[in-house]
Amino acid sequence: MADVAQPRTVIPPATGALSVRLRRTGEVTVQTLRNPVTVIGLVIIVLMFAMALLAPVITTPNEPNPYQMPRDWTALNEPPGTAGHPLGTTAHGGDVLYGVIWGSRTSLRLSIIVVAVTVTIGIVVGSLAGFIGGKVDEILMRVVDVFLAIPELIFALAIAAVLGPSFTNIILALAIVYWVKYARIIRGQIIHVKQNEYVDSARVIGDTKFRIYLKDVLPNSITPVMVQATMDMGAIVLVGATLSFIGLSEAGLAEWGVLVSEGQVGISTGRWWASTFPGLMIFLWALAFNLVGDGLRDVLDPRTESR
Amino acid sequence: MTSTAAVGISAEGAAGALVASVQDLSIHFKTKAGMVHAVDGVSFDIRDGETLGLVGETGCGKSVTARSFMRLVASPPGVYAGGKIDFWSSEARAAGGGPVNLLTIADDEMLEIRGNRIAMIFQDPGKALNPALSIGNQLAEVFLQHRSEELLESFGPNPPVIIRRAANQESGKVERVLLKLPPLRSKAAKVRGEVEDRVAAALAETQIPNPRKVMDRYPHELSGGMKQRVLIAQALACNPDLLIADEPTTALDVTIQAKILKLIRELQQRHHTSVLYISHDLSLVREISDRVAVMYAGRIAEIGSTDDVFRQPLHPYTRSLMAAVPSSRNKRGELAAIEGNVPELIDPQPSCRFHTRCPYAAEVCGEVDPRFLRHDFEHGVACHIYDEPAELGIGPDKLPSYERRTR
Amino acid sequence: MTSVQAEWLERDRSVGDRPVMTLLGVEKYFPIKDGVLQKVVGHVKAVDGVSLEVRRGETLGLVGESGCGKTTLGRCISGITSPTGGGIYFRLSDVDRAALEDILAVPEGDRTSEQRKRMEQIESRHLVTALTGDAWRAYRRNCQVVFQDAFSSLNPRQLVKDIVGRPLRIHKEASGAELTERVVSLLESVGMGRQHLFRYPHQFSGGQRQRISIARALALDPEFIVLDEPTSALDVSVQAQILNLLHELQRDRGLTYLFISHDLGVVRLMSDRIAVMYLGEVVEQGTATELFERPRHPYTDALLAANPDLDADVDKEIEGLEGTVPDPANPPEGCRFHTRCPVATPICGWEVDDAVSWLSVETDLLESMTGVERRSNFDATLAFADDDSAEAVGKAISGGSMPPAMSPALESMSVEASKVLLKFRPVAPVELEMVEPGHVTSCVLHTSRRREL
Repeated sequence: MADVAQPRTVIPPATGALSVRLRRTGEVTVQTLRNPVTVIGLVIIVLMFAMALLAPVITTPNEPNPYQMPRDWTALNEPPGTAGHPLGTTAHGGDVLYGVIWGSRTSLRLSIIVVAVTVTIGIVVGSLAGFIGGKVDEILMRVVDVFLAIPELIFALAIAAVLGPSFTNIILALAIVYWVKYARIIRGQIIHVKQNEYVDSARVIGDTKFRIYLKDVLPNSITPVMVQATMDMGAIVLVGATLSFIGLSEAGLAEWGVLVSEGQVGISTGRWWASTFPGLMIFLWALAFNLVGDGLRDVLDPRTESR
Repeated sequence: MTSTAAVGISAEGAAGALVASVQDLSIHFKTKAGMVHAVDGVSFDIRDGETLGLVGETGCGKSVTARSFMRLVASPPGVYAGGKIDFWSSEARAAGGGPVNLLTIADDEMLEIRGNRIAMIFQDPGKALNPALSIGNQLAEVFLQHRSEELLESFGPNPPVIIRRAANQESGKVERVLLKLPPLRSKAAKVRGEVEDRVAAALAETQIPNPRKVMDRYPHELSGGMKQRVLIAQALACNPDLLIADEPTTALDVTIQAKILKLIRELQQRHHTSVLYISHDLSLVREISDRVAVMYAGRIAEIGSTDDVFRQPLHPYTRSLMAAVPSSRNKRGELAAIEGNVPELIDPQPSCRFHTRCPYAAEVCGEVDPRFLRHDFEHGVACHIYDEPAELGIGPDKLPSYERRTR
Repeated sequence: MTSVQAEWLERDRSVGDRPVMTLLGVEKYFPIKDGVLQKVVGHVKAVDGVSLEVRRGETLGLVGESGCGKTTLGRCISGITSPTGGGIYFRLSDVDRAALEDILAVPEGDRTSEQRKRMEQIESRHLVTALTGDAWRAYRRNCQVVFQDAFSSLNPRQLVKDIVGRPLRIHKEASGAELTERVVSLLESVGMGRQHLFRYPHQFSGGQRQRISIARALALDPEFIVLDEPTSALDVSVQAQILNLLHELQRDRGLTYLFISHDLGVVRLMSDRIAVMYLGEVVEQGTATELFERPRHPYTDALLAANPDLDADVDKEIEGLEGTVPDPANPPEGCRFHTRCPVATPICGWEVDDAVSWLSVETDLLESMTGVERRSNFDATLAFADDDSAEAVGKAISGGSMPPAMSPALESMSVEASKVLLKFRPVAPVELEMVEPGHVTSCVLHTSRRREL
């Protein structure tokens, strides 16, 4: 429908670059928030983050390691609603609510570290491949292919076997396997963006390759990475929980996957709460990030961007 | 919304039978900023056997108008806001029947008309062809969709049901398997052969060399000009009464464009098809059209025979547009540029849409919609200069005479 | 290259009639890769031997249809890509050019050390792909580009102020408030204003975006601008504004333009001289008026005949061209236009491909052809499935239905069992020849080679 005269947006008088850029960010934010589903996801995330950050405040941290579930031998397998244990206790006497709250802290640590590391490595490798091209691209992409062939579960098991089961090793395993996704995404975007004439323009003006990459190529290639990173914040926790569930993490850790694993034994005998509440949290966390990621994608999609 | 009914021009039966008549058509688009009046009270006729050129710049609404004929305007955000498009198929005319309103007929009636009575070719031939289908298969679609009865003629008055369903592309999974088995296979092959003959004939008509070979090819193997010929073959396959061509040669080189235009002209004359030719290129429209309609900002500014409009343009916009086209007469740096921009068409006030850029604009131009009037025999214009010269203080005779020197 | 010399290069813009850009035998080939190992099996010869010069203060129009190489040539000239053969020289004086051409005429192995030194000296100062340091900066600052699609030539995430000010920032010409002021004055010179500084490209119309592009190109006060279809994507009324603007800027700043376009009307208006390109070569070149009123090449004729002209008589019909454009990976050795030329002669360079093409279009005798054994473009053997097919083809060729321009060029044809041997008279590549002062063409009908007919 290129025939229709497009209404030009009414711009209030601009006062400076910074205010315009802020206004633009504001516009994007407002537009994202127009989608009610996205708002729901955002609310859940905010609550979870709050819970994670305030964990030492809302609960009494366990000594010596707050990330270990407290063990109260006097209150084994208490159902929800018992005094002092609103969500019940586990088979080892650990407070389920404590596990839920501290589990969010663990999940936050996991997702932030893994996403930060994988996005960084991915962008670096993908940019080199896409921007430089040629032999460098071919070599790097073969490396990516190798990494893509690694099944994350088996790999994590291998790491656990070699380095011993621990939460840090789960982080390591996921970081090693997950960066390739970003490398591919940004490489594809860069190859596409490079064809635009504003990149040629920058060369004709005499700018250096590195600055062209920073100012022209990267900013226009980054949006799918941002969307994917958001969704991965949720997915990583899911995968981490799975790995914990199969026992690759430390026993007794205040982590949702571990809790689900340790609690599943009791389900057949009717003790549903030790697994269900942490399981619910995993679900909500992943859902929330998926919703926000989708909303972000709708707003940042280049086609709507051009209006 | 103004009424720019073409007074006196679209009288039925005047100067030949009509194929289509657009009357006061309005299509608006819902946007965040408001209702965009993309097409606002457009009226024109298409006569039997003629080529009507619809010319205008980006955003004037010509494409939307064309797409409305086949109800191809996406809705939402498109909103039908009034008017109608009457269409007389050749059968209707022969039987002395009346027109149908393309905007209101039932969906299955529209399916009958699309590709069959009205056909359309678009700007980018590359995008209009399915890259996964061979040329032969794509064109076969048209015949299977609209000419299945003819394909079954060789089977006599009672073709087997399963064959009939195959010709109508209604075969279920089981039927498809059965059609592969010997007794039915040869019959299905006969239908297939009929289709291929027709496809080859259609391609040959567009002067494609080696039609049978081309049928086996895929779109990416053909050049732009060849692809456009294929699309023309597809469009004219069923002998439509009206061909709508939306900038079909914009993506082609000028030497290929000339050939395609000649081809359209030839086929049009041979099949007695009417053509609605949409373009932004004035000189091109002059070459190919019998009559011309100039559109600006959702409305018809001027309409008349090509000769009249180009020799004696009435509307100030038409004049400005023609003066802006580079010619050997112009001195560098002195092209007559039209200052300003096309106005935003969001909930517009009654006024002449061109008044902000018109060198002759007066107060009335900004307040009242101009009526569409017949100035000379068949030459119509929507401009206050011709309607109320007294108000403007300038009459048509006072307008600087416009003459583009011809070589 | 010392900085004194660099300075001299910079300030030298007003001196004499020195050409701004000189092209000598420029070639740009793109490799075609095939197979699992991506072997190079051939080259697409996008630009195949172009020599021309752009003189200071003039507008040279470069016109042709898709695939002719004009855009690729523009990209080579502006330094976006490098030619694979030949040279592009910046500010090459006539004296130096003469010396260079003399040296280039000598095969590389036979050149004296003096000649080699001289050539190196010239190249280090003028050959665009060999420039470094200050000389390169001088070229970069003085050669700018305006592209066709103003949407993809402006970074959607940058403000207008940054887009137009970037050249100044990169070359450290200005910063801070001074930069802003200079940007404002650039915007004003293209008909825009201060209020547009802090906006994004998508907030402007096509014409305005093109103005921003032009402002950016002017930022470093260049001598030469390559305009690659600058108005092709614009409406007629906007195009008129931009063309007027371009002229005004040229007049006020003494600019030199290379105006690339497929639109004959626009090129005629804006250019002083015009070069017509076809399939990687320049086929005709002359002043704008000369070329349009007395064209000396059938392709130029065809372009003019196919161009709908608002001023022409209403009865005059536009004419197109038959035939197909040859494969740019294997263009004809003689005149490249002969496959579509309505007035082709026997000496234009008929090849085996032409015979095969004619046979496949006009007859169906090639259905049973099994292979072509090529000894050269002019000499080949066609193999068929059986003797009868070969004989039928032989009869068709000798029967007189071959196009009248092609058959005299056939030196010999014989049928042996299931093979047909074809031999055309080999023809030298066509050269551009001056037929009138300032007017060159490569068509044999107009050059001295017409004596051969």
